[in-house]
Amino acid sequence: MLQAVNVSKSYGDTLVLDDVSVQVGKGEFVCVVGRSGSGKSSLLNVLSTLTRPDSGHVLYQGENVTAMGEGRINRLRHKDFSIIFQLHHLLPYLTALENVMVPFMNTLRPIGQEIRDKAAECLERVGLGGKGNRLPGNLSGGEQQRVAIARALVKSPEVLFADEPTGSLDKRNGDGIVELLRDLHTEGVSLVMVTHDMGYARLAQRTVVMEDGRVVDGEEVECVTHPKDAVAGEIITQA
Amino acid sequence: MNLLTLPLRTLRRKAMRTALLTVVFAAGICSVVALNYVSKAVGDSMEKKLTAYGANILLQPKVDTLAVGYGGFSLGNVSVDVKSLTREQVDKVRTIELHERIAAVAPKFIALTEVKGQHAAIIGVDWPEELMIKNYWGFEGKTPEAPGEVLVGSRAAATLGLKVGDRFGVQGRDFTVSGLLTPTGSEDDNVLFAGIEDLQAAMGKPGQIHFAEVAALCSGCPIDEIVTQIQQKIPDVDIVAMQKIVKARMYTVHFVQHLALIVSVILLLTACFMIALSLLASVNERKHEIGVLRSLGYSRGSVFSIFCLEALAIGMGAGVAGFLGGFGVSHSVMDMLELGKEATMHMEWWHLGVTLAGVAVISCLSSVIPAWKAANTDPSQALVML
Repeated sequence: MLQAVNVSKSYGDTLVLDDVSVQVGKGEFVCVVGRSGSGKSSLLNVLSTLTRPDSGHVLYQGENVTAMGEGRINRLRHKDFSIIFQLHHLLPYLTALENVMVPFMNTLRPIGQEIRDKAAECLERVGLGGKGNRLPGNLSGGEQQRVAIARALVKSPEVLFADEPTGSLDKRNGDGIVELLRDLHTEGVSLVMVTHDMGYARLAQRTVVMEDGRVVDGEEVECVTHPKDAVAGEIITQA
Repeated sequence: MNLLTLPLRTLRRKAMRTALLTVVFAAGICSVVALNYVSKAVGDSMEKKLTAYGANILLQPKVDTLAVGYGGFSLGNVSVDVKSLTREQVDKVRTIELHERIAAVAPKFIALTEVKGQHAAIIGVDWPEELMIKNYWGFEGKTPEAPGEVLVGSRAAATLGLKVGDRFGVQGRDFTVSGLLTPTGSEDDNVLFAGIEDLQAAMGKPGQIHFAEVAALCSGCPIDEIVTQIQQKIPDVDIVAMQKIVKARMYTVHFVQHLALIVSVILLLTACFMIALSLLASVNERKHEIGVLRSLGYSRGSVFSIFCLEALAIGMGAGVAGFLGGFGVSHSVMDMLELGKEATMHMEWWHLGVTLAGVAVISCLSSVIPAWKAANTDPSQALVML
């Protein structure tokens, strides 16, 4: 469904992705793990079209995303892909319900009742049904992240990207968020999650281990329990 | 809820910044509006005052002169074949293409005669036209209304011993003094003014006009073109444009208008830079928000629009406040300058429309650079920066 083929990316003199090839199947749950600076988030950015690779290409449903124009990429981000960040990145001047509707505020056409109902439904789903009128500042960190998940859900995406979604949360809230993401995955959404937490990584169907901008393990589904690469084993152990 | 919600909520959230920006922008617009209204009023007033100093075009019959001298004795230039103007010729002035620029056409008939046994000059005038040109005249009594009524210059009244209500005869025709002119310091003090037709009839020269004065002054008046057009209509008449006066009048009016224009441009440029700087700071401050919006599928155009709409919203608020404020300020300034009676101002809604349209363009132009910067923010970089 989604595939990065020989992708390289650098910022200035720093090579952050070095000939990386990864693929995500339809409805698959893939975790990307690795040390800080290993290129996990850069890989997520490339896969989610937030940035274009310097070389190589990304395929989505057989189409070369790298060669797509700006309009097509915007449509992909708007309809097929959703991204959850470590920091929730909610707009502080909108209520929780309005934040969930933000993806549909990109034109001068007013948002219809259908979208409002769907947004309320998504908030209900993440357990914030009664807090739609609250501003983000009046919600806890875990609740804010749940609103961000509802914002990602409202678009009914094909692929959900999560960049350390539990990174700024305590264990209890983190567990709740990952549980929620797993539920979504069981409903058929492809999930690509970057995490430091090997406990969460073990829940994935496949784990991609990265080091110095390269994938050092990830071909086998059970790589976390049986890493085939010594570096990967070391990374997993340290994590 | 739509794309407008984002800029409007941002403005509401940053209420203090929005208020300050709106107030400063409104002050700029207020100054521009007030300057324009006041400069127009000053121009109109100046025009009226300058026009009151007299006409600026003189029509006189063509005169041939002959230098006469004999045996070493010179008589100087002697006018020969002196003709006079006719009413038809004078009336043609109002038929030129630029006839709307003609404020007054005042024909004159001069009669040298005796009044109460003393020599006196009586000028026959067309009262409505003459009073328009000589609107600086002051009276004791009233302006002539009925046939046979005259105005008497202050010095002539003293010499002839005339008072308001006195009657005298000229060539067998009776005239009544309806008013005495207050001293003007000009030749008007030495003469009497009567209705041109009455005087022509009294002197037995109906229709004869010795010369005519034309007042054709207004802002941007093409005086040379008016003279040319009059000349084409009545080619057998000498037309003299008093260029020095005209140029001085035009220079004064244009100077005030140019000054207002320059100050307006400076104020608007300052407002533009202020909005641009404020939005640039806002773009830098909201980089993460821009990154999130782009990651949610917002196009560059949508992000660009958010910042343009923000500037536009401030501009519209400031535009309405600035226009109304400017209108009020211009009234106060005109009262201070005692111009209220000479130039009237009315609230024209299309002025507000033009002001808002101008402000909208300026607001959008000033937001172009910040909005462009926001639209071209790399979402991955914007989010990494956190």
